[in-house]
Amino acid sequence: MIAAIAARDWLAAFRTPLGWVLLAATQAILGYVLLRVLDLFTGAEPPVRSAGLNLELTHNLFGTAAALLLLVVPLLAARSLGGELRDGTWPLLAGAPISLGTILLGKFLGLALLVLPLCLLPLGLGLTLIGAAQVDPGMLLAAALGLWLTGLLFAAVGLFAATLTRQPVAAAVAAYGLLVLLSVVNRTELLGAPQLGVLDWLAWSQHLFWFLAGVVRTSDLVYFVGLIALFLALAHRRLENAGLD
Amino acid sequence: MAGAGTRAIVAAMDALLMVQALTRRFGRTPAVAGLDFRLCAGEVVGLLGPNGAGKTTCLRILAGLLAPTSGRVVIAGHDMQHSPQRAKRHIGYLPERPPLYPEMRVEEYLTQVARLRGIPPGAVTRAVGRALRRCGLDAARRRLLGRLSKGYRQRAGLAAALVHEPELVILDEPTDGLDPVQMREVRGLIAELAERSAVLVSSHALAEVQASCRRVLVLDRGRLLHDGPLDAPRALRVRLARPPAPAALAALTSVATATAEAGAPGTFRVQLGADADAEQLAAGLVAAGWGLLEMMPERTDVERLFFRSVGMEAAA
Repeated sequence: MIAAIAARDWLAAFRTPLGWVLLAATQAILGYVLLRVLDLFTGAEPPVRSAGLNLELTHNLFGTAAALLLLVVPLLAARSLGGELRDGTWPLLAGAPISLGTILLGKFLGLALLVLPLCLLPLGLGLTLIGAAQVDPGMLLAAALGLWLTGLLFAAVGLFAATLTRQPVAAAVAAYGLLVLLSVVNRTELLGAPQLGVLDWLAWSQHLFWFLAGVVRTSDLVYFVGLIALFLALAHRRLENAGLD
Repeated sequence: MAGAGTRAIVAAMDALLMVQALTRRFGRTPAVAGLDFRLCAGEVVGLLGPNGAGKTTCLRILAGLLAPTSGRVVIAGHDMQHSPQRAKRHIGYLPERPPLYPEMRVEEYLTQVARLRGIPPGAVTRAVGRALRRCGLDAARRRLLGRLSKGYRQRAGLAAALVHEPELVILDEPTDGLDPVQMREVRGLIAELAERSAVLVSSHALAEVQASCRRVLVLDRGRLLHDGPLDAPRALRVRLARPPAPAALAALTSVATATAEAGAPGTFRVQLGADADAEQLAAGLVAAGWGLLEMMPERTDVERLFFRSVGMEAAA
């Protein structure tokens, strides 16, 4: 049942221009970023300078892709759930003999599958350099995993925001607000407050950083899985209560 | 006493849908208040009321889309609040706006609905084929839902509500916005549905309910004003080109009583005889050569109630 809901969302994205435009725009931007990175490593003594190539690749390619996901995923999530409410197709799901949890997981899986090709694009671009430079595929894979988990977190936050309002635009704006908060929560020193460990832990960028460095840590996996579960649980609670207000 | 109690329990067990003291408030405003009714298999019941009477809210609660503030909805013995998934298995619900995904093809869409409805994978193709045939969508099975005409969109919505062969079909304004031919088709489908399911149809058009329902619930401002059978009218108003004396009219076998309308020459109020129907009366009038110009049903109690509830008639 979860797969059926996810498959429909996938079909909806790629039968309309949405999915293709998204892939094309991401590819164009990442292609430009790749050329900029390669620029640093061409010219005199390339073998000496290629030492930092992998780190530059992951930070620039996957960092840019993460910024794109931050912009795009809340919109996709708002469309996925808010669109059903706005277009009047919600009764089809809510009236079916399936639980709200199943619907929510179906929507989440649909977004996860939609985010996946966006995460594979920078990986593919990085891997094209194999044979021409000393590329570390393991590091790129770790970065792609980190990027996908970041995308999943954005999707969970986006779905929660979509349960707050029936307006997809308002839902996307609410998701941006939450995600920006999760992005800058560790920058308390900017406000004159001392830096706190727990706030540092809450910021997604801190955890993505380790993946981009090629390090897959259990604590980072726990962070992403835990926060995704938290926002999905909050979304489930909101949906359950929606029948009462 | 004990016999009556037992009968009530048996009736409750027979009921496919049981609604008890159903109330739903939006803020302080009650959208529906204290609704009580039952629906048995094979019944076609009209839910009648002006716009804003609470029909859609009532149907959304019955379909399990909206939780009631208080009261109970039991479908085929399953309480909607305690075991919603079991209760929903027995319902086919068509909302006012058919829930269609514009980028899907008709057949794809029905397959998706069949999966959501929990039809086993092996039986999906057969169920979809059956729904397509019943709703006259065979020729449109490969068309995109977003490109269908309003009539076809309504049919696709109906097919989605029927694909799992529900025992209780809930239709919210199914003929709204359709042309007369499409309306007749939908009515035909409702009549066909009644052979195996209970059907609850909401409408703000009295004629619509009269055309397809045997029983009617009249709702106004969230309250149930009337719950009773909708019989064919026994009193008719006829206008004749060459009017005879009322006694001559009353002498027809199909007529019980006939009185001339004051102030409307050639118009009579006719009460049909015990076994007679309107067709026999019309044949009698034509055979007598009185020149039948008009024949229309007198207002029924339900009609009076309805027009009073929409504010078009002062309370009697």
